[in-house]
Amino acid sequence: MQTPGTGTSFKPEEAYAAAAERFFELMKTFGMTGGVTTDWKALAAPLATQFERWLQMSQSAAPWFGAAGAGAPAGFGLGAPAAGAFGPVPIGPAAVQGVEVPRTFELLGRLGQLQGELAKHWSEIAASAAQRFIGRLGASPTALATPQQALKLYELWVHCAEEAYAEAVHRPDFARLQAELANTSAALLAEQRQQAEALVRSFGLPTRSEVDALHSQLKELRRRLAEPGPAPHASEADETPGASRREARQGAQRAAGKRSASAQRPAPPRKRPASRQTRARRPRR
Amino acid sequence: MKAAEAATGAALAELTLQISETLSRLRAAREVSVGCSPKERIWSCAKTTLYRYVPLTARRHRRPLLICFALVNRPYVLDLQPERSLVRRLLEAGLDVYLIDWGDPEDADRHTDLEDYIEQHLGGCVRMVRARSGGEPLNLLGVCQGGVLSLCYTALHADAVANLVTLTTPVDFHTPDNLLSKWVRAIDTDLIERCGNVPGEWLNGLFLSLMPLRLAQQKYVRLLTSRPDQRTVEDFVRMEKWIFDSPPQNAAALAQFVRWFYQENRLVHDNLSIGGRRVSLRAIRQPLLNLYALEDHIVPASASKALGEYIGSRDYSGCAVATGHIGMYVSRAAGAEVPGRIVSWLGERG
Repeated sequence: MQTPGTGTSFKPEEAYAAAAERFFELMKTFGMTGGVTTDWKALAAPLATQFERWLQMSQSAAPWFGAAGAGAPAGFGLGAPAAGAFGPVPIGPAAVQGVEVPRTFELLGRLGQLQGELAKHWSEIAASAAQRFIGRLGASPTALATPQQALKLYELWVHCAEEAYAEAVHRPDFARLQAELANTSAALLAEQRQQAEALVRSFGLPTRSEVDALHSQLKELRRRLAEPGPAPHASEADETPGASRREARQGAQRAAGKRSASAQRPAPPRKRPASRQTRARRPRR
Repeated sequence: MKAAEAATGAALAELTLQISETLSRLRAAREVSVGCSPKERIWSCAKTTLYRYVPLTARRHRRPLLICFALVNRPYVLDLQPERSLVRRLLEAGLDVYLIDWGDPEDADRHTDLEDYIEQHLGGCVRMVRARSGGEPLNLLGVCQGGVLSLCYTALHADAVANLVTLTTPVDFHTPDNLLSKWVRAIDTDLIERCGNVPGEWLNGLFLSLMPLRLAQQKYVRLLTSRPDQRTVEDFVRMEKWIFDSPPQNAAALAQFVRWFYQENRLVHDNLSIGGRRVSLRAIRQPLLNLYALEDHIVPASASKALGEYIGSRDYSGCAVATGHIGMYVSRAAGAEVPGRIVSWLGERG
């Protein structure tokens, strides 16, 4: 499934054509294209299989954590990208010195486990949806002879599927799984970035951490310039070149809360020192 | 048996024809325009821009109305097309309407946090609008997440806001029917910050996943099989354009929003601080109109109507509208009711 409008250009008809295709597939399952009376009870298995496949396809598209997934169509789930999207950057042993490659593989393994658990949920939801649908059909109707009959059946199917889905995804175990998938994917991305930074540093290029530190210093300077009183000395803010990268990173964290100001901005209220308290990071879980 | 097969075959052919016609119309509607009312740029701060809509009629309300939309979507949904425009209805009623557009955050904005948005961006807009209208307190309309920002701002700056209107605004994030809240409760917000800005596509995916078959399949099938005329198709595409046109989210602001509101429910627990200053709903004494949707799958009605229990104002009006989250902004049913209520409520309070 391609979520409409998420590609580089907005082409609604393509997404709708895909929806139509799925609709016809469903009608085929309902027996419409065969033109014969359907054995409705026998439909449960193929319906469940179709729905499960759709759920799996939809959740497998990469969310933002997937660095390799930039520009890829978004799915509808909080699910993680395909495990294959992650891995150590292939940059040679020298460039990944100090980087915990085993940690990356550990996270990849965990991600695979979680995706397996998610697949079980999809399977359960799909089976439940199909059972509800068959149950609600009651006495076997005759073959679908009009588009209205087909649409009515389709509406019932959607209702049953959403009901089964809602029942499952509201449960605490599903919510925990979704969060863990997101956290593991994010941790993988963080690892990837760490490896990329190691490579960048080995070439003497500025890293994300250093850029962040500079950005924070700029914000702090702007904030202080906007305040009444003497301007800060240049030397107070110009510490980065001599500072270690670790200090730069710490500086970025310290200064993350400093305010920016715009030259054309109406006078903002003066920052209170206590604001730093709100920025204290929570301990890592 | 043969007659049944023939009937089914004919039905299928008819359905195929309907779908084919609709697909042609969809192709023609691809470049449909959105946003209809003329507006002028008044002020900007980083990526945020303050607009003033060109009045359509003589001014009949003393105070200007500033609209603060959510960070997670574009505000043009409030002015989608002439016959589906909350902004236009407000202009027609003689209100002086301003709108905040938060723009497109870039990677360099990843550290912009909620305090920046509330004090510098929203605060700057408020100061600018007030400066243009003689310094008087203004009327503030907060929409969805923008309603949360507006509540925070009003609690911190009692003298700047005369009347507050909230639209589909979550307050109690832990009501049992809030699926979004359940899903993000255990998300590691520190990791969100470390990973950088969150693309809009990811949020779209998250919202669709709340009701996947209805939102990503059924509505298209309904359109495709309903023999819509070109205008209906264009209306539909306009809406779709908005739904999938979400800006990226600043890492710091999003992480704080998830942590403080979705995870820790600080508005309800009365333990929120912005910039070291306590933000308490009890501190809001202004008249407040709270409009919420009864069929809202993103901000459940229970999450919005809780505001009545925690607000300090003695002039509180809660108003339920029988529609969904997006329906509050664009549905024809809500199109008359929502602006009508806002205008009459503000009219009674000046």
